[in-house]
Amino acid sequence: MRIYATCVYLFLYTPIAIIALFSFSAGRHASQFQGFSIKWYGKALSNPFVMDALETSLMVAVASAFLASVFGTMAAVALQGIKGLVRTVFDSLIYVAVMIPGIVIGIATLIGLVTVFDQLNPLVSTLWPTGFTPPKLHMGMGTLIAAHTVFLMALVVIIVRAKLVGMDRALTEASSDLYATPMRTFQQVTLPIIFPAILAGFLLSFTFSFDDFIIAFFVAGSETTLPIYIFSSIRRGVTPEINAIGTMVLGVSLLMLITAQLLLQTGGKKNK
Amino acid sequence: MKSKAYDSESQSVDRNVIAELRDVSKSFGDVLAASDLNLSIGEGEFLSFLGPSGCGKTTVLRILAGFEVPTKGEVLLDGEVVNGLDAYNRPVNMVFQQYALFPHMTVTQNIGYGLRQRRPRLSKTQIVKKVTKALDVVQLGGFENRRIWEMSGGQQQRVALARAIINEPKLLLLDEPMAALDRKLRKEMQIELQNLQRQLGITFVLVTHDQEEALSMSDRICIMREGHIVQVGSPQELYDRPKSRYVADFVGTSNFFSGKITNLTENLVSVLLENGMSMQGILGGELTVGQDVCISIRPEQMRLHRQGDGLTVKVLNRIFLGEHTEYLVTHGTLGDFLVLSPRQSELNDVPFNRGDEGLVSWDSSIALILENN
Ligand SMILES: Nc1ncnc2c1ncn2[C@@H]1O[C@H](COP(=O)(O)OP(=O)(O)OP(=O)(O)O)[C@@H](O)[C@H]1O
Ligand SMILES: [Mg+2]
Repeated sequence: MRIYATCVYLFLYTPIAIIALFSFSAGRHASQFQGFSIKWYGKALSNPFVMDALETSLMVAVASAFLASVFGTMAAVALQGIKGLVRTVFDSLIYVAVMIPGIVIGIATLIGLVTVFDQLNPLVSTLWPTGFTPPKLHMGMGTLIAAHTVFLMALVVIIVRAKLVGMDRALTEASSDLYATPMRTFQQVTLPIIFPAILAGFLLSFTFSFDDFIIAFFVAGSETTLPIYIFSSIRRGVTPEINAIGTMVLGVSLLMLITAQLLLQTGGKKNK
Repeated sequence: MKSKAYDSESQSVDRNVIAELRDVSKSFGDVLAASDLNLSIGEGEFLSFLGPSGCGKTTVLRILAGFEVPTKGEVLLDGEVVNGLDAYNRPVNMVFQQYALFPHMTVTQNIGYGLRQRRPRLSKTQIVKKVTKALDVVQLGGFENRRIWEMSGGQQQRVALARAIINEPKLLLLDEPMAALDRKLRKEMQIELQNLQRQLGITFVLVTHDQEEALSMSDRICIMREGHIVQVGSPQELYDRPKSRYVADFVGTSNFFSGKITNLTENLVSVLLENGMSMQGILGGELTVGQDVCISIRPEQMRLHRQGDGLTVKVLNRIFLGEHTEYLVTHGTLGDFLVLSPRQSELNDVPFNRGDEGLVSWDSSIALILENN
C-alpha cells in the first residue's frame, strides 16, 4: 500500500517538480530561467481569484477529509466484526473504489446527482409553501464535498483496517476482562491505538481532495477550486505565477504525505 | 454457594466451591475444543490445566473468563450460572499469554485500568493508593511512569499480574504466563506466583503444558487430552496413581510394557506381555481379563545392581544428573528402558559404564497396570 502510494505520487509530481524550479525564475516566461526571484509567489498570493479558489479548495479538502475519516473509521471498525462472504465482498468493493479512475467517478457522480436533482427539485417546489422561494438543489460545494467524501472513505477504510488487523485482539479482550464495556473499550483502547492511522488517513484524504481536478471538474458546478483555476489559467498561457501556485500546492501535499507516513510508521512500531 | 463438594476421590475439593463447570462443551465448527467437562474449583485453590498443545486448555480458560460461550453445559461462579454474563461483568481476571498490556499507557495507567472502570467511580486517591500497593506487591516500585515497551519481559509480566490482582478477582486466570520467560526467570516467577497466591488467597487457575511447572505449583492438576478431562488430582496423586498410560506418561517419566491381563484372581495381577514374557503388578484402575493394558514402572523404582536376582541387561547409555544417574539399558525381550540410580548407591558401588552387564529388579507391588491409551 505504501509503495503503491509512493509510486503514484512520484509519478504525479515529477513534472511538477520541474515546474517548481521555474517558479523561482525572475523572468516573465514560464519555460526559461532568468535569475532567482520569489516575486511570482507574492503575485499569486495577492491575486483575489487565486485566494478565492484556495479558500474553496481548503474548505472542500478539510470537510471531505474530516467526513471521510469519521465514516471511514466507523466502517473499518464495523467491518472488523464481520466474517465470511460479506466481508470478502466489502473488502473487494473497497479496493475497487480506490482503483476506479477519477473520471469515471466524476462522470458517474455528475450524471447520478443531476438525475436525482432533476427529479427532486420539482417535487420540492410543489411541496413548498407558496410565496417562498423553494430551495434548489444544484451542483456546487456540497456535491463536491459529498463526491470527495465517498471516494476518500474507501482510502481511510483501507488504512484504518490495516491498523486494526495488526492490533492484538487480546488488547480489547484484556480491556473487557478489566470491566470496560464495549463502548469504553473502544474509547480507551481501540481509538487511541488506531488514532495515528486515522490521522494519516485524514492527511492523505486532504491531499487527494486538495489536488483533485478530475472529480471536481465534473461536480463542482460553479465553484472554482485551485486545480480548476490553474487549469483555466493555463488555457491562457503558462505563466511563472501558475508555476508558483503549483509549487505551493506541491509543498502542502508533500508535507501532509510525509506526516502521514511518519504517523503510520512510528505508530506501528510502538504497538508491536 | 457454601456447600462443600466431595466428588470422586481425586476430584474432592476440601473448600468452598468458587467455580464449577457442568457438562461444558465448546465446539468451533467441527472442532470439539472442550467436551463434557465437569470440574469444581475450590476457593483459594491453585489449580492447573495441563495438556499438550491444542487439547483445549485455553478454551476452558476463555470460557471461565467469558470470552467464549459454551455450546453446551453450565458455568457457575459463586453458585450462579454465568453462561450469558459478559466478560466485563465477571469478577474474574486474566493474565494473557503475551500479557496484552496497553501500549499507549504507562505502567501505572495499565495497573489502574480495572479500577477506573468501576461504577460508582473510585476516588483518585483510592486508586493511587491501591496502585502503589499493587506495584509494591509485584516489586515494581519506581517504574510508575515507564512505558510498556521500556520494560523487560519479566517486568511486563509483573505489570500484567498487578493489573489483574489489583481487582481482587474471584478467579485469576493465567494462560501460560511463563512461556515467554527464560528458564531462570521462569523458576523465580513460579516461586513468586506461589507466594503471591498464598499471600492474597485468590483462586488461581493456571494453564500450562510444562509438567514441571504444574507439579511444583499446583494444589491440584487437571490433565486434559483432546478436549476431555482425563484425570484430576494433587500432583502426588497423579504421579503415584495415574489412571491411564497417558497420565503416567505426561506426569513424570515411566517405562511402559504392553500386554494383556491373564489372571485377576490373585493379589498380584499377571500380565502376558506382547513379547511373550509374563509380568506381575497391581491394578491402577478397573480392568478386566483380556484387556489391552500396559505395565508402568517409574525409572526410579527400578534398581540396577551386580549381585542377586534380576533381569540381565546391558547398559547402553549413562547420563549423570547430579543426585541421580540415568541409565538407558536394554533387555533381550523387554527392549530398551530407563533406570534411575540414586547417587548414594553409586558411591557405595562402582558405577556402571556403557557396555557393562547388570541386573535390574523391582517390587511387583509398585508395577502399575494401566489402561493402554
Ligand atoms: N476461535 C477458534 N476458532 C476455531 N478453532 C479454535 C478456536 N480456538 C481454538 N480452536 C481449536 O480448539 C482446539 C483447542 O484450542 P486451545 O487454544 O484451547 O488449545 P490449547 O490447549 O490452549 O493449546 P496451546 O497449548 O497450543 O495453547 C484447537 O484444535 C484449536 O485449533
Ligand atoms: Mg493455549
